[in-house]
Amino acid sequence: MARHVLANNLSIGYSSEQVLAEIADFQIEAGDVVSIIGESGIGKTTFLKTIANLVKPLGGNLTVFGKSPQRIRGRIGYIPQKLGLLRHDTVYGNVLQGAICHESIWRSVFGFHDPKVIDKVNETIEIMNLKDKINEPVKRLSGGQQRRVAIARTIAQNPKIILADEFLSELDDETANNVWSVMLEYVKANSITLLIVEHNLERARQAERCFEMTNQKELSYSILKEI
Amino acid sequence: MFRNDKSKRVVLLNIEGNLIMSNLRNNFILFLEQRKSFLLGISILFFTFLVFVDLVGGKWSSLENSLSNLSKFFWESLWPPDWRVIEARDYPVCRSSIEVTCSTAYIGIVETLKMAFVATILGFVISLPLAIFSSRNLYSDKIAIPTRIILAAMRTLPSIIWAILFVVMVGLGPIAGVLAMAFYTVGYLGKLQYEAIEGLSNSPLDAARAMGLENIEIVERVVIPESANNLISQILFMFEYNVRQGSIIGIVGAGGLGEDLFLYYDAQMYQRVIALLIVLFSVVVIIDFLSIKARSYFVDDATFKSPSLIGNLFRGK
Repeated sequence: MARHVLANNLSIGYSSEQVLAEIADFQIEAGDVVSIIGESGIGKTTFLKTIANLVKPLGGNLTVFGKSPQRIRGRIGYIPQKLGLLRHDTVYGNVLQGAICHESIWRSVFGFHDPKVIDKVNETIEIMNLKDKINEPVKRLSGGQQRRVAIARTIAQNPKIILADEFLSELDDETANNVWSVMLEYVKANSITLLIVEHNLERARQAERCFEMTNQKELSYSILKEI
Repeated sequence: MFRNDKSKRVVLLNIEGNLIMSNLRNNFILFLEQRKSFLLGISILFFTFLVFVDLVGGKWSSLENSLSNLSKFFWESLWPPDWRVIEARDYPVCRSSIEVTCSTAYIGIVETLKMAFVATILGFVISLPLAIFSSRNLYSDKIAIPTRIILAAMRTLPSIIWAILFVVMVGLGPIAGVLAMAFYTVGYLGKLQYEAIEGLSNSPLDAARAMGLENIEIVERVVIPESANNLISQILFMFEYNVRQGSIIGIVGAGGLGEDLFLYYDAQMYQRVIALLIVLFSVVVIIDFLSIKARSYFVDDATFKSPSLIGNLFRGK
């Protein structure tokens, strides 16, 4: 089975003077569903951002798809805590943003979209049950619907791995569980690797593997261990 | 410990005194802390007064008759306005059925509006790419800082100084005015734009970067649509600003209403000057009102009924 993420003695943080966390040994195989729990501010988001190549590792070894992290068109789907949706744009426009990963830069910039891209957008919107909201600006949707748009945008990329950062945290439990089960069902059916940071232990436990990031009193940084 | 009662009393009094002093000091510090903003305001006002006194340099007599001078000038030279400025000029002969369209005020105002419009759009087209390169959330300091220096240089001099340079370069007339205002617009609008872009939420940018989208795609799909409301609001503001500037830069021969203003002023025809100023004031008030109306359409609120205009224009679905 292909290894998607491998971290050994990885130091993460925003400056070398202040290491947020040390990841001794962490790996994700293709198709794994992995969750990370832990208190706020101890480095979970930074870890996801490091894998997504949004933050540079401070030291140690990190490989994503067997190479050092790099941004390859469409390969990594990232759902930030605040979702990162284009608030003024419609559901269609947001999902299209994910789907353009399948066409050339110039086609996407000038708006001459490949018919396959358009089909992909419509198909994904249908999977996420958002067809009746297709032309609705995202900011007028409910919290649960916005999460489904974020998932739709990500799966329209056909990513190999999805990194989701506590994106259910602002929802009530019932809605969060609904969105979570939609996502879980989709990634399992399509063998997509999922790494999710989740504050709800019950949902986190539904992943195949669950890690906890804890802050060591005797150390100045956090560590990650499987539970 | 104490040799006698008296020295004991003195020591106790001292301790009590110290306690009272320390309480007073603490209360005073608390008083200052609670009124920090007020005291800062008072200090700024006092400092301003000192600077003003320094500027006057003891010549307070010049202020003594200022109001009576103004009143005298107003009633003797400015009032009543000479409304011949909105009547058709004798030469060239008016061929329009609407007489006012051949008047000095109309021709001057229309030319000023045209100049402001072209300068604003031209300035916007040039400033937007520069603002994008100046945004530190999109490009590194190596690119952002030199671009910011270019923008800063362009807005260092006001339009009227640029107008003098452009009059020398391209001669008298509205072209010099348009170029001068466009030049200043690039510097000024560019700064407003990169500040708006840097104020964007990181979240959509992070999502787009993690996807592996190129910077040009991020600008087209995320940056412009997400900051569109601000960008449009800034264009409208800049247009208003340029209308006001356009009526001034004519003084150095760069076209627009300012040329007529200067001619009348030079010929001491102050009643015509005041009439032109009233016309200009009315036009600016109307533009201001329309601009507020237009800007309110782009303000970010939940009742907004469609995605942003720029968002739609830049997107082919």
